[in-house]
Amino acid sequence: MDEEYDAIVLGTGLKECILSGMLSVSGKKVLHIDRNKYYGGESASITPLEELFSKFNAPAPDETYGRGRDWNVDLIPKFLMANGLLVKLLIHTGVTRYLEFKSVEGSYVYKGGKISKVPVDQKEALASDLMGMFEKRRFRNFLIYVQDFQPEDTKTWKDFDPSTNNMQGLYDKFGLDKNTQDFTGHALALYLDDNYLQQPAIQTIQRIKLYSDSLARYGKSPYLYPMYGLGELPQGFARLSAIYGGTYMLDKPIDEIVLGEGGKVVGVRSGNEIAKCKQVYCDPSYVPDRVRKKAQVIRCICLLDHPIANTKDALSTQIIIPQKQVGRHSDIYVSVVSYTHQVAAKGWFIAMVSTTVETSDPESEIKPGLDLLGPIRQKFVSVTDYFEPIDDGSQSQIFISESYDATTHFETTCLDVLKIYKRGTDEDFDFSKVKVELGEEDQ
Amino acid sequence: MSVSSSRGAAARPNGAPQTKVCQFKLVLLGESAVGKSSLVLRFVKGQFHEYQESTIGAAFLTQTVCLDDTTVKFEIWDTAGQERYHSLAPMYYRGAQAAIVVYDITNQDTFGRAKNWVKELQRQASPSIVIALAGNKSDLAAKRMVETEEAQAYADENHLLFMETSAKTAVNVNDIFLAIANKLPKSESVGGGAAGGGRRLADGEPPRAGGCCK
Repeated sequence: MDEEYDAIVLGTGLKECILSGMLSVSGKKVLHIDRNKYYGGESASITPLEELFSKFNAPAPDETYGRGRDWNVDLIPKFLMANGLLVKLLIHTGVTRYLEFKSVEGSYVYKGGKISKVPVDQKEALASDLMGMFEKRRFRNFLIYVQDFQPEDTKTWKDFDPSTNNMQGLYDKFGLDKNTQDFTGHALALYLDDNYLQQPAIQTIQRIKLYSDSLARYGKSPYLYPMYGLGELPQGFARLSAIYGGTYMLDKPIDEIVLGEGGKVVGVRSGNEIAKCKQVYCDPSYVPDRVRKKAQVIRCICLLDHPIANTKDALSTQIIIPQKQVGRHSDIYVSVVSYTHQVAAKGWFIAMVSTTVETSDPESEIKPGLDLLGPIRQKFVSVTDYFEPIDDGSQSQIFISESYDATTHFETTCLDVLKIYKRGTDEDFDFSKVKVELGEEDQ
Repeated sequence: MSVSSSRGAAARPNGAPQTKVCQFKLVLLGESAVGKSSLVLRFVKGQFHEYQESTIGAAFLTQTVCLDDTTVKFEIWDTAGQERYHSLAPMYYRGAQAAIVVYDITNQDTFGRAKNWVKELQRQASPSIVIALAGNKSDLAAKRMVETEEAQAYADENHLLFMETSAKTAVNVNDIFLAIANKLPKSESVGGGAAGGGRRLADGEPPRAGGCCK
């Protein structure tokens, strides 16, 4: 440990592992440390099941839960958008070959007390009970507009400048009613709240395009989920970092981040050892005095011995409860994975209900989500603070990631990573650096 | 373990159309500097570098072995140095159908560590994993510290394949991979990379068919 590094990365959550991989690939000498004896931090998948129960101080699971080692339970629910940033990062870095994925079987949206499938094609759209016949026609015209829209080609804008006009304006142009707006903004564009309505329409157009491009890749839904749980993702990027020379130490407590002149970081101390470095990259838990609380997120892990009603017994699914439907400001998300992803024993399902906390009684806030699940065998609730760094790290050279937010996918996660990489290195990540070398390595 | 095919058979796929192809994940384990990467480089590329750098860059290689009626494709995972501070991720063992645990015959400590790696595999990996023990650097017999008989007895006790190898002179390198290929079950239900039933992602590539023997 008593060496000098370009960068020391603290914590092996997904963001830190992607950063570590990108830094190593760019030729930086990286030391990557975690205080835990396992990879993943907050983005680990907990195994065996006994570990999860003891983490939440619950009595040990009985034999109906099968073998504990068959379980890998995520603490933070997320899916990958099939055409999203994380998939691009996985493919361009070659990390994808360490992983296998399954398509999520379907996406549902909550309306008027029941759930309906988000249509994936014309046929499903025509049969959908989400909107009436005339509204369907208007919605179809809207989708065609979005599909044909090209940012560089003003002809495709059809007399509507999406960078100066807001999204509400675009909805009004097509005469879409409130329910359809709700469905579009929350189940397709995947916004957490309604602030987007006043933002330039271009952002929403691009998010709907991401949704449909992702859907086009594998068909059933725009989402992917890795076999053995989300905890495989940080491990994959950690391996990338190691392959490019990164040094890994787990189970290593960090006692101090050592500062030098002008408050600039010069090293990291663990016990009597000091590793010197020019930069530190870390998650908020390693620098409590350099982050502030932004919000709280409630997540409830539910173990079920049955699929969710009205999802055609889907082995994986996502249900979005748009905020307006239940009188809230932010959406409630339900994500379901199961034994088919090697994250639960045969016959078991893991549902996660989550949202941004708005009241002093967060558990009652997620009730509409829990009510969709049917009998719940075991429930683990956690309310976690969502932190953001107090500065951009340019002075201290300590670059801090934001906590994982309540969104259902990894787009904001990747944007944070790319932003931090740019702050730390003054350049955008050059994907070509990996491609070439991997080409030689792989026969 | 007798090896029926000739050494040359392990070198390249022969392109015979009728043979079925089975893919297996093989992981390497062992202390730093026992020659894990050198064994793979010798096997895959026929190369040896006296001063092989600590593993950088090349940590995922494939090589094909042809048996009588089957082509066995190894997907070989090197530790990428993550063994140094005992920080190998569970992902490394996940779905591995074969492992080569390597020690250095001139260093008794590395043999002791090899035994620990075998225990680790028995704990973490699939119960049906085929494990081979390789006493590497057999060209340095003059400096030998681990007796062949001792290692052989340990291997027999634990049902491991065992060979003394030399990445430098190529002795027993192809043979140990061939022995593993022979011992691996080639039924329809096993094989196929990580065997989890998912798909790999690739640029524009259609979903990969799962399972063995496509």
